[in-house]
Amino acid sequence: MTDQTPLVRIEGLSKHFGKVVALDNLTLDIARGEFVTFLGPSGCGKSTTLRILGGFERPTSGRVILDGEDVTSQPPEKRNVNMVFQDYALFPHMTVAQNVAFGLELKGMNKSAIRRRSDEIMSFLELESYAARYPVQLSGGQRQRVALARALAPDPSLLLLDEPLGALDAKLRGQVQQELKSIQRRTNKTFFFVTHDQEEALTMSDRIVVMNKGKVEQDGTPEELYFRPASRFVAEFIGETNLLSGRMRGTEGDKVVMDWEGTTLLGKAPAGLPAKGEPITASVRLEKLGFSVERPQTANAVQGRVVGRTFLGSRMAMQIAVGEGNALLKAYVDAETGRSVGTDPVWIGWEADNMAVLNN
Amino acid sequence: MNDRPELFRGNRIFLACVYWAFVLYVFVPLILMVVMGFKDSKFIGFPIRSWTLDWYTGVFADAEVLSTFGYSTAIAVLSTLISVFVGIWIAVMLEGRRFWGRTAVFGMTVLPALVPGIISAIAFRIYARWLGIEPGMGAIVWAHAVHNVPFVVLVVMARLSTLPRSQIEAARDLGADPLISFIRITLPYLVPAILGASIFCLLLSFDDFVRSFFLGGYEPTLPVLIFAKLRSGMSPEINAIATIALILTAAIGIWAERFTRRMNKET
Repeated sequence: MTDQTPLVRIEGLSKHFGKVVALDNLTLDIARGEFVTFLGPSGCGKSTTLRILGGFERPTSGRVILDGEDVTSQPPEKRNVNMVFQDYALFPHMTVAQNVAFGLELKGMNKSAIRRRSDEIMSFLELESYAARYPVQLSGGQRQRVALARALAPDPSLLLLDEPLGALDAKLRGQVQQELKSIQRRTNKTFFFVTHDQEEALTMSDRIVVMNKGKVEQDGTPEELYFRPASRFVAEFIGETNLLSGRMRGTEGDKVVMDWEGTTLLGKAPAGLPAKGEPITASVRLEKLGFSVERPQTANAVQGRVVGRTFLGSRMAMQIAVGEGNALLKAYVDAETGRSVGTDPVWIGWEADNMAVLNN
Repeated sequence: MNDRPELFRGNRIFLACVYWAFVLYVFVPLILMVVMGFKDSKFIGFPIRSWTLDWYTGVFADAEVLSTFGYSTAIAVLSTLISVFVGIWIAVMLEGRRFWGRTAVFGMTVLPALVPGIISAIAFRIYARWLGIEPGMGAIVWAHAVHNVPFVVLVVMARLSTLPRSQIEAARDLGADPLISFIRITLPYLVPAILGASIFCLLLSFDDFVRSFFLGGYEPTLPVLIFAKLRSGMSPEINAIATIALILTAAIGIWAERFTRRMNKET
């Protein structure tokens, strides 16, 4: 476990389907024991990457190195990689125990070893009491666990998960997310998870790779992605945010000064600085905006009028018209504050560190 | 609004009458045939004055009938095995694949089922002579197998098209090469279709007259024997043979239908 070499090296991977570029020159490493999530809308290349790692697609160009070995042209049955399918793909004519044992049989293990290993993995996932059942006799959550047990049984070095929670209802999904994360920690396996659900990605991953149009938009920890989105796409895709369109005015220390709706705002600078006078966009999260009657001490402050509010239980979503009323800000406040704000003009304030200026 | 239920009711009674008239039309000949097999007289027709089981005991004592029964069964089983083997092969080749000439291959595969029996029988006869195949069991098995392949192909393809691709991918993922995943995943999935197609082929072959007649040697199949007996005069013995064949085929057909339906529900 102290092996510092990456488990997977993806080098210049591209995949074209006819004229459609599904994956465009992807290069990245996956460390051992990492829970990495590929996140993005449908058609962004996340599933193509997964299918290439599994051996179900051949890349148009590029290489996949698994544990130091080039597996780019290896068929799925030769790779020490297993997959949890979106529809689970449990074999309907086999019991739970037979499903779990399938991969072990094909590894050529003897009967007692198969029995020992499948018992071990089934008890680990609390499936012992279902061993003799057929997949049709199981609930969605149980099927998902069987699919996981079947994929983990042959002890793969990399586990691929293709939106495995999509078929579960919202309540069960939350529970399974916790479970998956804890299974990953306890087995110390490398999980490669694919989803279009940003909440799922944020709760489970050590690292998230946001994909768009076959390219990596941003690669980082959930916190980095949420608070320091590198692009407008990431800011919009992950969580809810206010996007402020203004103009570049200059810099102040390591901060960017921008003109927006007749005021100047301070925000964190992006990687490449835009030129003065160029149009720029900044992102500030809904929960980072504060309300006050007097002008606040924060770096950024604007005056506005509440034009709408939505009660959400523990908090309230407010809509504030700013300036001439062309710009609308959204903010989350606690329910009491939300109720106490009248229709008089109020001050909205936020710190420079909470606003990220983005590369468009 | 008031007269609509009336009208509706009239319609329903009318439809019911049509239905039962149709059922009678279909079943009365069968019922008459069965009834006549129990008549204690050489002549078929009413009135029936006394009943007997002699015709049935006669059938079971008749060595010719029994051997013919065995002969027909053997032909049915052999031709079905060939049809199923070839049919699965073609279905797997055609389903979910695109290649040049696929439509032509599919058309040619289905053609034997569409050619009128008498034409295909004559064609087989000419072809068999040209190839030097002697009339007899081999020729009949060959003709039945060719005729039945389309039914296997259609039924198996329909089932195959519902097999999720992820099933095969999962098998490959877990270490099965294409052959092992076919044997361990695809074939079990196809079992209901294969069973249904087999029963259908058995019945088609057992029932076939035209091809068996044209390609048969000295030994008759059951339908050919019945035909020969009819020419020497109608007797209730034929009714008894036909009734036994009817009961057997109906029983197999109904059992197979229920069995495949249950299997389909399970998977």
